[in-house]
Amino acid sequence: MKSLTAALLLLPLAIQAGTTPPPREKAPLSVSNDSLVRVNSTGQAFDFFRPWSKKAPFMRRGLGVVLPDNQILVTAEVVANHTYIELEKSASAEKSPAEVVVLDYACNLAVLKPLDPAFLKNAKPLLLDRGAQVGDKAAILQLESNGLIAETPATITTITVAGYPLDHLSLLTFRVSAPLQSREGSFTVPAVRNGNLLGLLMRYDARSQTADLIPAPVIAHFLADAKQAVYSGFPRAGIAFTATRDPQFRRYIGLTEDGGVYLTEVRPDSPAEKSGLRKGDIILAVAGKPVDQDGNYDNAEFGEISFSHLTNTLAKVGDTVEFTIQRDGKRQVIPVTLGAMDKQGLVSEPHIFDTQPRYVILGGLVFQELSRPYLQEWGSGWAKDAPQRLVYLDAFQNELPTDRGKIIFLSQVLPSPNTLGYENLDHLVVTKVNGVEIKSLEDIAKAAASPKDGFHRIEFEQDPGFIALDAAEVETGEGQLRQDYGIPALENLGGR
Amino acid sequence: MFRFFACALCAVFLLIPSSPAAAVANSLVRIEETSQEPNYKAPWSTGEVTGGVGAGFIIAGNRIMTNAHVVSNARFLTISKEGDPKPYPARVLFVAHDCDLALLTVDNPNFFKNTTALDFGGIPIIESLVSVYGYPIGGDRLSVTRGVVSRIDFQPYSHSGVDSHLTIQIDAAINPGNSGGPVLQDGKVIGVAFQGYSGDVAQNVGYMIPTPVIRRFLKDVEDGHYDRYVDLTLSYHPLHNPAMRQSLGLTEGNSGVFVGSVYGGGVADGIILPGDVLLKIDGLPIASDGTVSIEGDPVEMAEVVERKFKGDKVNFEILRDRKPLSASIALTHSWPFTLQANAYNEKPRFVVFGGLVFQPVDANFIAEHNPDDLRLRYLFNQFITQNIYRERAEIVVLSSILADPINAYAPDFRYDVVDKINGQKIDRIDDVAAAFKKEADSYVIEMLGQGRPIVLERKEVEEARKRILSRYGVLTEENLQK
Repeated sequence: MKSLTAALLLLPLAIQAGTTPPPREKAPLSVSNDSLVRVNSTGQAFDFFRPWSKKAPFMRRGLGVVLPDNQILVTAEVVANHTYIELEKSASAEKSPAEVVVLDYACNLAVLKPLDPAFLKNAKPLLLDRGAQVGDKAAILQLESNGLIAETPATITTITVAGYPLDHLSLLTFRVSAPLQSREGSFTVPAVRNGNLLGLLMRYDARSQTADLIPAPVIAHFLADAKQAVYSGFPRAGIAFTATRDPQFRRYIGLTEDGGVYLTEVRPDSPAEKSGLRKGDIILAVAGKPVDQDGNYDNAEFGEISFSHLTNTLAKVGDTVEFTIQRDGKRQVIPVTLGAMDKQGLVSEPHIFDTQPRYVILGGLVFQELSRPYLQEWGSGWAKDAPQRLVYLDAFQNELPTDRGKIIFLSQVLPSPNTLGYENLDHLVVTKVNGVEIKSLEDIAKAAASPKDGFHRIEFEQDPGFIALDAAEVETGEGQLRQDYGIPALENLGGR
Repeated sequence: MFRFFACALCAVFLLIPSSPAAAVANSLVRIEETSQEPNYKAPWSTGEVTGGVGAGFIIAGNRIMTNAHVVSNARFLTISKEGDPKPYPARVLFVAHDCDLALLTVDNPNFFKNTTALDFGGIPIIESLVSVYGYPIGGDRLSVTRGVVSRIDFQPYSHSGVDSHLTIQIDAAINPGNSGGPVLQDGKVIGVAFQGYSGDVAQNVGYMIPTPVIRRFLKDVEDGHYDRYVDLTLSYHPLHNPAMRQSLGLTEGNSGVFVGSVYGGGVADGIILPGDVLLKIDGLPIASDGTVSIEGDPVEMAEVVERKFKGDKVNFEILRDRKPLSASIALTHSWPFTLQANAYNEKPRFVVFGGLVFQPVDANFIAEHNPDDLRLRYLFNQFITQNIYRERAEIVVLSSILADPINAYAPDFRYDVVDKINGQKIDRIDDVAAAFKKEADSYVIEMLGQGRPIVLERKEVEEARKRILSRYGVLTEENLQK
């Protein structure tokens, strides 16, 4: 509120202070104003420390790109946890509410549609850029706080496959060098080249003045998928590999050919595992393209680039890609049918948007599922500040037994007569409740229905080992607990 | 390069009615230490030579008492008396890092002439006046400060970083150089000044080691050897919750604590089980908050164990599965806990092979390397609480890489934990040394959480050996002795 008042006060002063400006031709934008739409998204994130409530609303703004078929492309980030989305024409300030057509946090893209079908009647849809090369010039378009569009020149410096922030997914990325200003509320920032859409800004490092773009080929994949009856997203093989440049290591694994990378991990239940790839296999070629010691192949368009471009960006879910491998000194070809990521199968989810966090409260004990967003509630230093056992379980979840299920933990205690003496317990991983092994929140809810000898016995991996609650008193105290702490419901098992 | 050891007391000279500084001057000494700090980043190097000043006082038997941290890593010690210009070389008789106390002596018989051995008193009462003597920063001569007893409590001893003992807090300023100096009341030593807070954390908070801790130390060394404090090696929790009490078969009332963990290999392992209720310790009823009543005062149950020595027994009455039992535990010191304690007078242990430096991780290593590696920090910090010590006695890491063509691809593995070498499980640093001494064409080093091993070929290592040692000035390729 304060900063708003300040801004209003400053504005008239600035106008008075200015001398009469000389009339000047305005430099034309690289693309027409009619190809861009301001997107104002009001959102409300859930509070993972109080999973029954939402945090204060926030407002995000971005520059949406008008696409053919009455659609608008934005980053998924701008509409994450949205409660209301509004479109605004940058020239006329005409507004329309909008809804999300399709959204994928893995590639950080979303398509919106105005509720008013005539809203984009005179707009000029942008086409996707093709054939961008390292060294090409582009323009980055940002929204100023006063609503004007600011244009910054940029140069493509690298084309590579890099990790996308949210989903442990590696996809094609254009890195550009651009002296961008940090502008508040700029959540979708398009980049254009020759009047076509080159990409959307994914992240920006102010110190090195480099920005990573979600490039046109990734957007094309997303849009093609979005046209399908069921959106299937980006495929993955479910492998990790390491370079084989070390000559001693090459001799150790018996690799005599020039290229090849070493498979360090084949994730359980992944397409790669189902197809028969194994840890220790050496990948010599993918889809017929030879793979070098660093895992790159020669792409006709972009040059040397990681072979995961073939499996993650170019292929679709359900496609079969041939892996030529060396195993036990013999060359063989293994076809891998690519699948989408099974987010539910993860021990700890990398992101949770748009759904209420799941929880169960039993007599004032709050149980939750381990997830990255829970840990991120500790702020930017969460990896050091959050409870270390939980950070470890999240970071190294691939090393847990495959039947581990979810990590259910006692996140906090709401002090009540039932929890006398338990007030200081928190972040304890639950192993059993009333003798039943706990692998999901549903297990807790189920086990709580059958107390033993009138007590709920809750067992933990860490000290104090176990605690007991009086089952009858837990039940009679539920109403009071909800009233005391203003909790609308004692469990949320939805969202799946 | 002089460093003053931290300790605090406030001096109000005009108000000192009794125990004048003149009398104490016959007992107080100034200790100058030359120390050599080990270098955990270049573990073969001899380490930096540095120095410091602390205080001490003469006690019966021609002995001088001071803090352990005044004489830690000492290479040369001199002691000077008030009014005697001559510094006397001294030597350490006993040092107790877990309670920050040390005993020194001077071999020159002239030293103890005209000195007065100080006697020990008891625990002072709260708010009573005490005087602190020492050589704090701000001058070279004897300094006296004065304050009142603020609080008597269990507090961590920062010298080892893991021990907590009875501590008396006084409101006299404790400054660097006060360390090891006596705190007197009615002419008797009632404590040894040893630690305080820096001024930007808290004001007028200084701590002294009280006489129960001092007397225990003196008694422990009577047999010519310091055995250290003993541990119960279990964790216990208050029993306030009525449902918890009922489920354990306890009646109402305020007795008993609940055992959460019993650490494997510790003295209580197999005798006490997690889930047991401890009802009495040596016949004293344990209250539900973990205190027992000694001479009418409620004190932590741990205090009963604190007063015991290696080989002593402690007896418990326990309730297990609702049945009463008696248990007797022979006390000693347990190993996993020393990993997280600051260590002194120890040489870094390491193995250099093919330019790769392997070291066991302990508190000294962590303090110097301060690694960011998530897995390493977890394994070290949770070594006891997550039972990691059951999987490996030491966490051995690839601590640094002396860059050479043969290890050009190893930097990705820095601070990774060594799991196996040529299929042999690595339990401690000695296993690394042994594995590399075994004849083999190549050495396959597997690291925790890494999908590929480091491979070193013997032929390559042999060729590179001299080159690496001379280029990096590595004086010796291994040290396995503390």
